[in-house]
Amino acid sequence: MKFFLAMLRESRGSRGRLFFFMACLAIGVAAVVGVAALGAGIKEGLRSKGREMLAADLVVESRRPLGDDIAPLVREAGATELSTVREFATMVAAVDEAGSVGKSHRAMVKAITGRFPYYGDLVLDPPGPLAEALQRGVVVAPELVAAAQVRVGGQLRVGGKLLPVVAVVTREPQSLGFASMLGPRVFIAESQLEGTRLLGFGSRVKYKLLARMPQSDADSVRTLAKRLKREPKGAEYLTVETWRAGQPRIRTAVRRVERFMGLVALLSLVLGGIGVAQIVGAWIESRTQAIAILRCIGMRPREILTLFLGQVGVLAILGSAAGALIGTLLPFALSGVATEFLGPEFTLGSVFQWAAMGRGVMLGLGIALLFSLPPLTAVWRVSPAKVLHAEAEPLPAPALMRWGARLALVGGMFAAAWTQSRSLLLATVFTSGFLALTALLAASAWLVMRLTARLPRERMHPYLAQGLSALARPGAGTTGGIVALGLGVMVVATMLIVESELSSGIRTLIPKDAPTLFLVDVQPDQWEGVREELITRGADPIQSAALVMSRIRAINGVDVAELAKRRGGGRARWSLTREQRISTMETLPASNRIIAGSLWSEANIPEVSIEDRFARSLGVKLGDWITFDVLGLPLKLKLTSLRKVEWRSFGINFFVGVEPGVLDRMPSLRLAAAKMDESQEQPLQDRLASRFPNVTVIRIRPILDQVVVLLEKLAWGVRGLGAFTVIAGLAILAGAISATTLRRRREAALLKTLGATRKGVAALFVTEYGLLGAVAGALGAAGALVLSWAFLVQLAELEFAPPLWVIPVAALLSSVLAAGCGILASWKALTAKPLESLR
Amino acid sequence: MDAPPRVECENLVKRLPSGGRELTILAGVNLSIAAAEFVAVLGPSGSGKSTLLGLMAGLDRQTEGTIRIDGESLDDKNEDELALLRRHKIGFVFQSFQLLANLTARENVMLPLDLARIPDSRARADELLERVGLGERGHHYPSQLSGGECQRVAIARAFGPRPKLLLADEPTGNLDRDTGLEALDLLASVREEQGTTLVLVTHDHEIAKLAGRRVHMDRGRIVREES
Repeated sequence: MKFFLAMLRESRGSRGRLFFFMACLAIGVAAVVGVAALGAGIKEGLRSKGREMLAADLVVESRRPLGDDIAPLVREAGATELSTVREFATMVAAVDEAGSVGKSHRAMVKAITGRFPYYGDLVLDPPGPLAEALQRGVVVAPELVAAAQVRVGGQLRVGGKLLPVVAVVTREPQSLGFASMLGPRVFIAESQLEGTRLLGFGSRVKYKLLARMPQSDADSVRTLAKRLKREPKGAEYLTVETWRAGQPRIRTAVRRVERFMGLVALLSLVLGGIGVAQIVGAWIESRTQAIAILRCIGMRPREILTLFLGQVGVLAILGSAAGALIGTLLPFALSGVATEFLGPEFTLGSVFQWAAMGRGVMLGLGIALLFSLPPLTAVWRVSPAKVLHAEAEPLPAPALMRWGARLALVGGMFAAAWTQSRSLLLATVFTSGFLALTALLAASAWLVMRLTARLPRERMHPYLAQGLSALARPGAGTTGGIVALGLGVMVVATMLIVESELSSGIRTLIPKDAPTLFLVDVQPDQWEGVREELITRGADPIQSAALVMSRIRAINGVDVAELAKRRGGGRARWSLTREQRISTMETLPASNRIIAGSLWSEANIPEVSIEDRFARSLGVKLGDWITFDVLGLPLKLKLTSLRKVEWRSFGINFFVGVEPGVLDRMPSLRLAAAKMDESQEQPLQDRLASRFPNVTVIRIRPILDQVVVLLEKLAWGVRGLGAFTVIAGLAILAGAISATTLRRRREAALLKTLGATRKGVAALFVTEYGLLGAVAGALGAAGALVLSWAFLVQLAELEFAPPLWVIPVAALLSSVLAAGCGILASWKALTAKPLESLR
Repeated sequence: MDAPPRVECENLVKRLPSGGRELTILAGVNLSIAAAEFVAVLGPSGSGKSTLLGLMAGLDRQTEGTIRIDGESLDDKNEDELALLRRHKIGFVFQSFQLLANLTARENVMLPLDLARIPDSRARADELLERVGLGERGHHYPSQLSGGECQRVAIARAFGPRPKLLLADEPTGNLDRDTGLEALDLLASVREEQGTTLVLVTHDHEIAKLAGRRVHMDRGRIVREES
């Protein structure tokens, strides 16, 4: 330990190196911790705001009216207050005193009985309690005021009934950013729904029961939630949320984004690892004599390795800790990101996310140690005979050590990727992809340097010639710099290209004949009228299908409740218990393809055809009997074919298609899709809203716009993380240059002795670093085009004309950055007096 | 039975590749050194004296022949075993001192003591520094010491773990005459106190007179011995 501390004095005279060592790690760790801390902060924020977001202690939710046995169960568990909410989308429009109807607008109606909310502030303008306001009329979200000219004192047409607007919501506790995508809220008293034409069967209504529980009793809420998932009739169709497990869907989404971003962040840390490896390599090289002395006085190579590794460890912890500190503060510096997604009312949890910081430091330490191992095996190569004569031959390092170190490096990287993504597949893709890209870049860098070496330099400007030869000289330690910077450029350029292609291409992604709007909840007797309206406004083509709302009751005679229990939670449960919209399928639509079995092939047996992936998540196979429940009536069908659906056709497609004839006398609703001119959409919507208020119009264009906005927000985050990789690349390059300061200084001194001015030496260095940056930038951008192509064309099946101009632009930018960083890093070498260095 | 000699070299040959040819540094050296003996190895530069010293310590490998320390052959020892041998049995003093620049004088002396797990290394280091007349300078770095002082630190470091064999490679080579003689006196007297076998490589006949036996080398061979 004593010597361990003593050896830390290595820092004397190599501060630049230490700085870059720590910087390489700090940048990567900051990125990793930033992502983890943002995720943790959001989850913590969700938890602390759990009651406000849920508006209650416990909410029971279903797509069907809640059974009579639920409320008594909740009361029995100690609930002090109960409210119900019915939620559904519909078209609303403002009506002024003269009776003229304004533009229709899609809105989310919340029909309430009892008090709402129990927690959090719902602030109205004019102020007052919601329940009181609802006795007089409806309360609307501010977006409606702007979008549909609704105003307090005016009237709102909801489902064919006129209701006075009595207040506007100025603050709603549980409105998260996502919620507003479904349309602005309209609050209405449940009793007011009578007389609207909104509650026809099959409308997409969400039924909710809100409960307020005694504050002190957290356990009873959990117990109650468990009972509710088991005991009531039809419990398998219920979703139960408690404030403690707040917002499971958002949490899942946050976790997914976090894992993906975590890998992007890890990339900059792994790049930092390359920097660490380079700096450690240069460090060991400069300590050769000391290593020889240590070996001479009886230290074994592995002890020397441990000694250096210990120092790497201490420095890594310091650098990582600094990075962790920056990382945990990042979400606050960028707190806009969270509110952007989760709404302005959202606040992150605590500033110091210790778990995230701890993980970042461990990852930083692990990466530093692993990347140090291969260069540190050089201690075996230092001959102790160097103490007697400097030219002593290097010894061979044991193969076990060399390969062991590399194996540990790859294994460790995989482990880090797994820690970040929690997915073996992603970790494998990350590790192998990184290794392949690194190898490819290193090989290209090597090739470029070899070619450079062969360029005839006689006629060039001497600086350019010198710069080129410096680039090509063996062991310049710049390959690592090129690879790291190149990888950084590749990441950022790939993000930029993919993002810009996606946001500009998302509209072209949709086929020309794809519908631009969907009509939902059309009653059978309304269809003729609706169709007429569509044709009048030039809609073409029009598709429509009758569909029957149902649920799965049993598969092969096994009750769905039993199946859901067996299959656990998640997607399987969702598939089994969701509302199934089943439809008659006369023939196979063009966008469908049978991949197993055959369509309507068995005589006298009612058959069903299911989309392949959905069938897998249901856990059914050809020949299985599936019993559906259509408004309480059983419908037993045999699965005789599996389909693959081209969802991108955007036409009407169903997971579940039924043989013609079977659904004929079932109560059905009609779904329609139509393509029409954008200018005709609003008039059609207004007209339908007044003639058929229960019909919901979903317009694709504004939704696409919102998707683009969302995509841009996401891309912003990814790009920010990508910037970290470029910074890491630059730090590595600067570190590589600074690690060779001694040699640089001697070079500069020699050049000065030979008559070069300081400016001249600087110009020479600039040329060298600039060329280096240009090579890295060009290689990185070329790689980015390949990656973008792979993603856009192979994976997303989009058209992609590679923007080749990216290559020169990236080369130029990275050249300027590299030259700047290089000059800063070799400042010492430039300003040294020649005699000092040549002694 | 008699104890084996401390060092035994049998027909040592060392060849190095040099620009496509083979250069013979040692051409068959036979030498036996008894315990507590003081041997000076003399010869012009390039005669192979330092190479011989390096081979005795297992710093380098001979091309042919055998070396034994206390009857134990070095030939089949791996790098780790050689390191342990040096740690416990062999001390070094070099022409260029070879102190670790980033450790203080005291820390330099403590290093081999700690490696050999000798208790109270700090007290022992101070004692040794006192013995070489640098009791007050333990906290100085090599760069803050004069050449003679550095060599005294190196001597203190070499004797620290009480090695059985001390190898000195031109220890006065980088020092002026008076300082060199001082350092050598120190080396000789500590050797006397500890009963250490000393092999001293030098090209200075004056200095070599201090040794009990003088071995003259030229072109990789022992050409003459005198005592």
